[in-house]
Amino acid sequence: MSIDLISMILLWFGLYYIVSLSLNMEFGYAGIPNFGKALSVLVGAIAVGGILDRLLMLYFGIGGDFITGTTYATSAINNLIASNPIVGIGILILAIILASILGFVVGAIFILPSAKLKEDYLGITLLAISEAVLLICTYNLNIIGGYYGISTPDILAFVSGEYRGWVFAWIVLFIAFLVYLFFERLLNTPFGRVLRAMRENENTVKAFGRDIMKLRIKTMAIGSAIGAIAGVLYSLYTVNIIANAFTRVDWTFFPFLMVLLGGKGNNKGVALGVLCYVIVKVLLDIYKYNIKYALGIPFEPVWLSYMLFGVLMLLILYYKPSGLIPEKPIITPPMKKKIMEISGK
Amino acid sequence: MIKVKNLNAGYGKLQILFDVNAKIEKGKITTVVGPNGSGKSTFLKTLFGLTKIYSGEIIFKDKDIAKVPPHQKARMKIAYLPQTNNVFANLTVEENLKIAGYVLDKDKVKERIEIALSVFPELKDILKRKAGTLSGGQRQFLAMGMALVRDAEVLMLDEPTAQLSPKLAEVIFEKIIEMRDNFGLTILLVEQNAKRALEISDNGYMFVSGRVAFEGTAEELLNHEKFKEYSLGITAV
Repeated sequence: MSIDLISMILLWFGLYYIVSLSLNMEFGYAGIPNFGKALSVLVGAIAVGGILDRLLMLYFGIGGDFITGTTYATSAINNLIASNPIVGIGILILAIILASILGFVVGAIFILPSAKLKEDYLGITLLAISEAVLLICTYNLNIIGGYYGISTPDILAFVSGEYRGWVFAWIVLFIAFLVYLFFERLLNTPFGRVLRAMRENENTVKAFGRDIMKLRIKTMAIGSAIGAIAGVLYSLYTVNIIANAFTRVDWTFFPFLMVLLGGKGNNKGVALGVLCYVIVKVLLDIYKYNIKYALGIPFEPVWLSYMLFGVLMLLILYYKPSGLIPEKPIITPPMKKKIMEISGK
Repeated sequence: MIKVKNLNAGYGKLQILFDVNAKIEKGKITTVVGPNGSGKSTFLKTLFGLTKIYSGEIIFKDKDIAKVPPHQKARMKIAYLPQTNNVFANLTVEENLKIAGYVLDKDKVKERIEIALSVFPELKDILKRKAGTLSGGQRQFLAMGMALVRDAEVLMLDEPTAQLSPKLAEVIFEKIIEMRDNFGLTILLVEQNAKRALEISDNGYMFVSGRVAFEGTAEELLNHEKFKEYSLGITAV
């Protein structure tokens, strides 16, 4: 039990760290209140269920109904993967590439309707767009199977069931680490500094010759591309997709909490925020009934995690809005070199 | 350097400026004065592209830049410094100065920062502090230093001495003179401290209810009946 618990924590830490890192760039650095973050994760699911599954149907020559067809297609590919692990890894890489491209494009388009909006209006517009797309995916059966859902390949078909969770957790952690390196490299640069400046004061950024809308588009495109990777990993982990799994609570509000808890504008702080929250949430989900009986809680304990969310959000915003690890100035390579010189003397 | 012709502008459907004609001379300090609500700050914002222009022209280097967006005006070496919100509060002083140079070549940025620090040596000791923790005067030094880093040719200042002590205001005025004399900057200044601003200026405009009520040299404006009435708070009927 405890072993499975650890692998579950690691898995969710990895998934949420990827989403939270991309949200940290959008919100923590650039000040874009992306309340539509769930959309980028959903895009990853669409890349797997809507595109990859169709490619597999095409490859195996399977026609007919989309939902039924993908069931046959994923069975066929799983048989192939069971005897050829390389195929599984290849499917994973292909899915990530598809999702990144789709996420990049959707992210760039997604921000356009809000060209003249700021702050709350911007946030609520992004949320509305995200919700609209989710509803379309829920009731249109031809995207990702709607309310029926759809099968996805088991990229670890060659691994026995008892170890699958562990192996998948390490794959997710590895990819999360790569994403972390990517954002550290991307944001400890003049570009990162400009995003911070945009968060602080858009008019002054304009006054210094930068086009705000281009910066937003670039930020949202990259952020959505990375968020989509988390969507891919989640879809392949569950080996099926159902639209309602990509709600705003799970993939927008929880990541916001984790970014604020850990410290926005700070990728290491976000890691701490994600770890703290994931541990508490996983333990709460697993032991909620034990807690109910031990404490004599008079209501259904499934609500405990939502109450936790609300309480934590209030506590963070009220007492420590900069988070557990506040952001620091951006140190670009030339500055780092200068610091080394000074400290070396 | 900048010619304004029959400019009408405002915010959305609310018109603030009416048929404004003005000329800001190269390498001179031009001050805009007038009572509260006369459209002085709106005039600066309009020149920089932050308001809605209904009609009129803004001629800069023989081109009409009325419809050019702010970030492109900035690249044409026009700098606008609002009264507040003119620095990035959560970034360090050093980071603020670096960001100001992002439209320049890399080699030039370092040189420009050194020039800015020579005009505002007060910033040298506080490079690592967050801009939001600075005093009002230090913040203005930083904002003007950022304009120098950008190698701007035109500097538009909106009440840079607002909320500062008289002594500090005097230092600001001295810096403004220094920037004109040492760097040849064209400066457009909006000031509530009208008398002192005009004393350091070459030219002046008086705005009343969104219109130019008087224009001329700063000395002429200082001696004008209208200005005296305005200074004393007397309104002629």
